[in-house]
Amino acid sequence: MSAITATNLTKRYGRNAAVDSISFSIEQGEVVGFLGPNGAGKTTTLRLLAGLISPTSGHCQILDKKVPGPTLRQVGTMIEEPSFYPYLTGRDNLKHTALLHGGVSEGRIAEMLRFVKMENAAHKKVAAYSQGMRQRLGLARALLWQPQVLLLDEPSNGLDPVGIAEFRESLRNIGQEGVTILVSSHILAEIEKLVERVLVIEQGRLLFDGPLRQLKARLDQPLTTYRLVGHDPELLRDTLVRFGYQPEQGGEQLRVAVPQSEAASLLSRLAHEGVEVLEARREQDSLEDAYLKLLHEDGRPV
Amino acid sequence: MSALVNVIRAELFKAARKRRLYLLAILLWVIFPLLLLFVGWLLQTRVAGTFVDNGTGVGAVVEAVAAPLAISRNSLVLLGNSAPVALLIVAVVLIAALLIGDERSQNMWKTVLTVQPDRLTVLLGKLIAAMLLLGLLLLGSYLSGPLFGALGTLFLPTSFSGDWGGLAGLYLLQWLYATAAMLFTFLMIWLLRSNLLGIVAVLFLPGLLEGMVTFYQVVVGFDRLNRFNAILQTLRLRQLFEELPRYFFTTNLYTPSRLPLNDVTAALGLPGGVGNNAGPFAGLFDLDLTRAAWVLGLYAALFAAVLIWSFTRRDIA
Repeated sequence: MSAITATNLTKRYGRNAAVDSISFSIEQGEVVGFLGPNGAGKTTTLRLLAGLISPTSGHCQILDKKVPGPTLRQVGTMIEEPSFYPYLTGRDNLKHTALLHGGVSEGRIAEMLRFVKMENAAHKKVAAYSQGMRQRLGLARALLWQPQVLLLDEPSNGLDPVGIAEFRESLRNIGQEGVTILVSSHILAEIEKLVERVLVIEQGRLLFDGPLRQLKARLDQPLTTYRLVGHDPELLRDTLVRFGYQPEQGGEQLRVAVPQSEAASLLSRLAHEGVEVLEARREQDSLEDAYLKLLHEDGRPV
Repeated sequence: MSALVNVIRAELFKAARKRRLYLLAILLWVIFPLLLLFVGWLLQTRVAGTFVDNGTGVGAVVEAVAAPLAISRNSLVLLGNSAPVALLIVAVVLIAALLIGDERSQNMWKTVLTVQPDRLTVLLGKLIAAMLLLGLLLLGSYLSGPLFGALGTLFLPTSFSGDWGGLAGLYLLQWLYATAAMLFTFLMIWLLRSNLLGIVAVLFLPGLLEGMVTFYQVVVGFDRLNRFNAILQTLRLRQLFEELPRYFFTTNLYTPSRLPLNDVTAALGLPGGVGNNAGPFAGLFDLDLTRAAWVLGLYAALFAAVLIWSFTRRDIA
């Protein structure tokens, strides 16, 4: 059974298509990343899936049932920055949502507060919460009724690095319990460590749908990036430019991308030119490189 | 059905934690009855037995102000006749702002409508919760009479006598009539996408429109032969235009709380009451509970239709 299905989903505002005929299907238990720069259409797509806005054309389904509809009661959402009633405490906000949904025990509320490590702040009014605390409480709220599907929109926004790591770990645990998760982000590193499949959206159009490794393999002309420190930085830079590369200054280091076929001979060629290299370090291609490359291939500015 | 109950329970849970409703309840349930008792005590201690008492009967006035039934009755009168805006509509607006306006101002619609995706159920649940809260305020106002009135009987020459059942009926009708006002407030806050604009519209828009019509009628009344009247005559709308004030929203809304005003004016020695054809209010209102119910029912149906149409379709941005 498909957990999430979008078929030719389109949302137009006037002449602008925020989401332009995108189709994808996500199986139950999959954890899928939804990548795209700000304004690409990620949030609009998630709102369509959550039944908050109606599509101009096309349709979507959750657990093989039409959206909007009762099937959304099986969905936990965290769309954009989570919002709460500021005059209620964290626990009371969860209790309100539990009452609204029905079938959620006090024990489950306490369990979720423990899960997101908020039990000590649960008695405080949400108005006094930091951004990170709100994010964690938002996750607790989305999980209250043990949903089968989670729609998360940039869930680690506003979290510090430790918080991001904890959040990622929490999502990994939830995913292992068989919950289908569609998580959007423009912070590519956190998606890279969480998902095996990605959807890439830009200007409302789906550019890529497939395994993460396949996305990275889309680099048809693989580049290898070096970080170099020269004895004479000016000479090093001039020589790299003469070789036809475009070095970028990063502190004392020069960052330069070279085709993999030329990577092995780079240092010997520099030595042959009389350039003394004090330090050379090779970088792995990040998902960001692959992602930007993908956008670049589509012909639009990155 | 359980989804509807869930919405109502959640809304009442939220409302119970909002301070503004308690302030309103204290005003209606405690401060106003105490104020009436104080006025009764002043009359009894300062006026009774003086030359003013001769013939007018201060005791009757004290009974009309601070007796148990009078306290309940005067609270109802206050709800529909306080100026510059009636307390009833203030209560309606405060409750509606909490249940509908807060969802927008706190950006909570996206949560509420994904947790409970049936929008019609959410709307109905919120309306029922709002009416329950208003009903609780009115019930407390009604019960404050016997409670504080009993206290008054300890030091005032008052009694529990009177038509308690009739007054309870008026309270019940005022509560039912307020459904139209609640729907109107829901509609304004939802359509205008703003708590503040919605509240301002509810408090002032009906009065403004009705005031304009009344003003024009008065002006036209001085000059019966003019183009406007000629057009209305030709279209056979003259009669309807003259009867328009009978169908005003606010005129009909406060009918149950205006009826007991007769008793108050009579007790204070004023000539006639609002429902009579004599006295200072003669001709302003033709109070008829049945007609008011029909008129408000039509308003409620109109507001509900537009609200449901918009609420179930609008995108939640």
